[in-house]
Amino acid sequence: MNRQRRRFLRAAAAGGLAYAFGRTPGTVHAQMSGGGGFSDYKAMVCLFLFGGNDSWNMVVPTSAAEYDAYSNARGGPLGVGSGLAVPQASLLPLTLQTPDPNGATYGMHPSMGGVQELFNAGRAAVVANVGPLIRPTTKSQYQTAATTGHALPPQLFSHNDQQDQWHSLRGRAIVRSGWAGRVADVLNSQLGAQQLPLNVSLSGQTFFQAGEVATPYVMGAAGANAFAGFGTGGTPLARRTAFEAIANANYGTVYERGYASVQRRAVQYADRVNGAITAARDFTALPNAGVTLSPLATQLRTVAKLIDVRSRLSMSRQIFFVSTGGFDTHDDLAADQPGLLGNVSASIKSFYDALTEIGMEGSVTLFTQSDFGRTLTSNGDGSDHAWGGVQLVVGGAVRGQNLYGRYPLLTINGPDDVGGGRMIPSVSSDQYAGTIARWFGINDANLPLVAPSIGNFAQQDLGFLI
Amino acid sequence: MNHSTILGSRWRLILAGATLAVLAACGGGGGDTGVVPPPPPPPPPPVTKAEAFRFLNQATFGATEAEATRLIALGDSTNAYSRWIDAEVAKPAGTLLPQVEAAFATLSTQPNFNLQQLNAPRVEKWFENTLRGSDQLRQRVAFALSEILVVSQVGALQNLPFATADFYDMLARGAFGNYRQLLEDVTLHPAMGVYLSMLGNQRAVAGTNLRPDENYARETMQLFSIGLVELNVDGTVRRDTQNQPIPTYDQNIIEGFARVFTGWKWACPSTNPNCTFANTRAQNTPVANYNQIRPMQLYPDQHETGTKLVLNYSGVTLPNATIPAGQTGAQDLAAALDNIFNHPNVGPFIAKQLIQKLVTSNPSPAYVQRVAERFNNDGSGRRGNLEAVVRAVLLDADARSSPTGNAAATAGKVKESLLRLTQFWRAYDGRAASGRYGAQPVNFPGGVSSIFGQGPGQSPSVFNFFSPSYAPPGEIANGSFVAPELQLATEYLNTQVTNFFWTQAINRTTAQTGLAADTMFIDTREEQALVADSEALINKVAEKLLGGAAQMSATLKSEAKAQIDRTAAGTAGNNNTRVADAIYFVVTSPEFALQR
Repeated sequence: MNRQRRRFLRAAAAGGLAYAFGRTPGTVHAQMSGGGGFSDYKAMVCLFLFGGNDSWNMVVPTSAAEYDAYSNARGGPLGVGSGLAVPQASLLPLTLQTPDPNGATYGMHPSMGGVQELFNAGRAAVVANVGPLIRPTTKSQYQTAATTGHALPPQLFSHNDQQDQWHSLRGRAIVRSGWAGRVADVLNSQLGAQQLPLNVSLSGQTFFQAGEVATPYVMGAAGANAFAGFGTGGTPLARRTAFEAIANANYGTVYERGYASVQRRAVQYADRVNGAITAARDFTALPNAGVTLSPLATQLRTVAKLIDVRSRLSMSRQIFFVSTGGFDTHDDLAADQPGLLGNVSASIKSFYDALTEIGMEGSVTLFTQSDFGRTLTSNGDGSDHAWGGVQLVVGGAVRGQNLYGRYPLLTINGPDDVGGGRMIPSVSSDQYAGTIARWFGINDANLPLVAPSIGNFAQQDLGFLI
Repeated sequence: MNHSTILGSRWRLILAGATLAVLAACGGGGGDTGVVPPPPPPPPPPVTKAEAFRFLNQATFGATEAEATRLIALGDSTNAYSRWIDAEVAKPAGTLLPQVEAAFATLSTQPNFNLQQLNAPRVEKWFENTLRGSDQLRQRVAFALSEILVVSQVGALQNLPFATADFYDMLARGAFGNYRQLLEDVTLHPAMGVYLSMLGNQRAVAGTNLRPDENYARETMQLFSIGLVELNVDGTVRRDTQNQPIPTYDQNIIEGFARVFTGWKWACPSTNPNCTFANTRAQNTPVANYNQIRPMQLYPDQHETGTKLVLNYSGVTLPNATIPAGQTGAQDLAAALDNIFNHPNVGPFIAKQLIQKLVTSNPSPAYVQRVAERFNNDGSGRRGNLEAVVRAVLLDADARSSPTGNAAATAGKVKESLLRLTQFWRAYDGRAASGRYGAQPVNFPGGVSSIFGQGPGQSPSVFNFFSPSYAPPGEIANGSFVAPELQLATEYLNTQVTNFFWTQAINRTTAQTGLAADTMFIDTREEQALVADSEALINKVAEKLLGGAAQMSATLKSEAKAQIDRTAAGTAGNNNTRVADAIYFVVTSPEFALQR
């Protein structure tokens, strides 16, 4: 065990969660929430786009000079030679609330009418050029980092390492927790008798939700599955009791204990979820039957249902993880991107609409994360791993119809390009996560526990949430 | 030899008094009186059933009582294991491709045929090979390799079923070969070419934004050979003076390898022998010499001819770690693969992953080092001999001796969920009336991955079903241990798997009639014969699944036994429930999830 972690655990055991990322350990500061639990409900929904979304084609400049730079960098129109640029005329206009002082305008990928509509209605925002950073970084600082020691996230442009950066915001420290997991660690004492863990995944185990202390709960895309062979009386009930006794027994290896604890939680939470979720609404926007939903929309329907039955489960704060994959478009960008982004847009729009059916759109913020942005340059019919990119934030609490951060001029070898059209983020994932965590209820004193590098940035809240 | 100095006088006295008859029986070699020969060393103990189960769960798709008996009969504990391995290494590889080709012949004549339908026969054949095949060690190593050198039917390969099957067969054939050769075979296999987009990778074109694809260049180093950071030979991470890990490569080196891997595409179709880079295509019909199962072909006009920066390390042979300009694509490839293969990381990187897949999630650095050193030199000066590496993994003292003290809590690993299934079916002679194995959808509605979280050739990405560094929150993460397979043991998937086993135990056995022809059923006749005696019944199940009744915890045994007895023996239905409860509680137990 590394020393920092041991320190964290020792302090945690002593009652005050000391926290350390190779820096001065802090403590969790008492959160002001009126003493006993939150009186309101808030949920964040992380939509992870696995593979590295080519987001320079998701939100694209439409003003002449900026579009020309983009189109040149991408080698001309999609489908012509090795070109990757979305044709200008096909882009769906985004109407900025505050026009760009230099006259830049932007459009959405033609498959994303749903998100365009939310944006123009003030329910969605664009955060431009966000990615992992430890401190603000210029191109010359990047180029000389090896000699100056300017801190950069390790293993830039690698899938799993950059996913880990988004999940954990770890910088160069070695950590065992994700930022949502640490939100749970900080808020745990204020949640009252929540019947489920604060973190719920609809899409498998994720580092994002692993706490130093708190453990997430993983259910299926369509909800929790019940145990066959168990029942509420007689031999089937006894079978369940015996099963739980076995899961509760002591075992000699960490592996048996780890497995047994999953079995134990599975029985416990399946009851709670299944007992509550049957009371959830059949949403018009995400119906139970009659329409074939994509796997992503199915996950979001389950999230909407759980939000609908939040009081039955005594939940006041929840973080949901949903995902969709296939974004590693080294090949076939022209053929694949419309389907990938179209699904994202339609699923987000349906989810937002479902929330309006229960009046909860103001309490729920959906945001995207992805491994990395991709190269502006082409490898023939696709793009490669890069760094900064564009993310979306959606919900009634979003100060929408705005672009946050700084959308770079997309030129090869320009001031933001470290080579091949790999753009240095203008805002960090820490700032992005920190903004969401503050809205969720993390106070400023605790913010560095969630986003450890945030102190290195002047602006700790990017302002896209109320 | 003067025995008395070896034994010491006290021992001589005791021996003289106590073993006279034995000594007399020795026949008095040499005729010297007064010197007592030493006792023969005690013969090495035989392999116990529990030890045989442990070994076979490391080396096969699941221990069975029959195979344990066979192993035990091969000799004592110093030679039975190596003799067993000797025989395994000599066995030819069971394959997947012929079944896929045969399925094509049958299915392609039907209306609405599409190539994706041919993934299912590959999965069925995989179950048949792992449940029935005799080349168990080869298949188990191939499966481990398939989780390191990953391709998947999920994604770009979905319509290339022949290439996907042939890739796995290539791993099985190469499981005891040389890693350098395997790396080359993998690099040039069209399945990998498509999966990581080296197939069709073009040279840069001056004056345009076109440059080589970096996908294969990056992943072959990160995942298939050296990893991201420099390692010591024992697998621990080297650190610089600021205590930071030292990256093995940077973006410039990735771009160098990306340039190496240009110019390769589908071999010319047998129907178009004078094809070009632009017009070569996959052959989707298994005609003679079709290109889905042939290595990719070099198209020199699309190969980058300039210099290429490659890996630099102590002992690197290329001057300036640079491949010179003007070589052919084949020469560049050979130089690049040699450069990767001889990096000092490869031994510990591959050794540790094979140990983790076969034996334990948390090997000691000394164990990793012993195996890595066999990778570096098999004893006759060869590097990368996988047969020697596999022997080193399985015959190591850490794999064979029973761990004690603190190490006992982290010895072994969690079984992959798919391997829990194969072990269960092997132990219970799982089969279907149709002769097919694991056919969809009757056995796996939604596919095997939707229940077990994994299926052969069905990884969600090149990063496999689980990460070798996954550590769940709690004592495993707190202790800086890992438990990779627990990444799949989510509440959701564990429930899916647990329910699968319940259905199997209660509804799909030799006690049922009217099962669908493809339904996998288990043979419970021995359990049925013991059904009236709950103690004997639960012990029988533990003998088959755990290698002995003593392997059950007291809680498992007492809870399972009590549950069995809640249903009175007698009627067929009740007997079925009693047998089902016995099997269900053992197969879903933490003891069974653990590979010791």
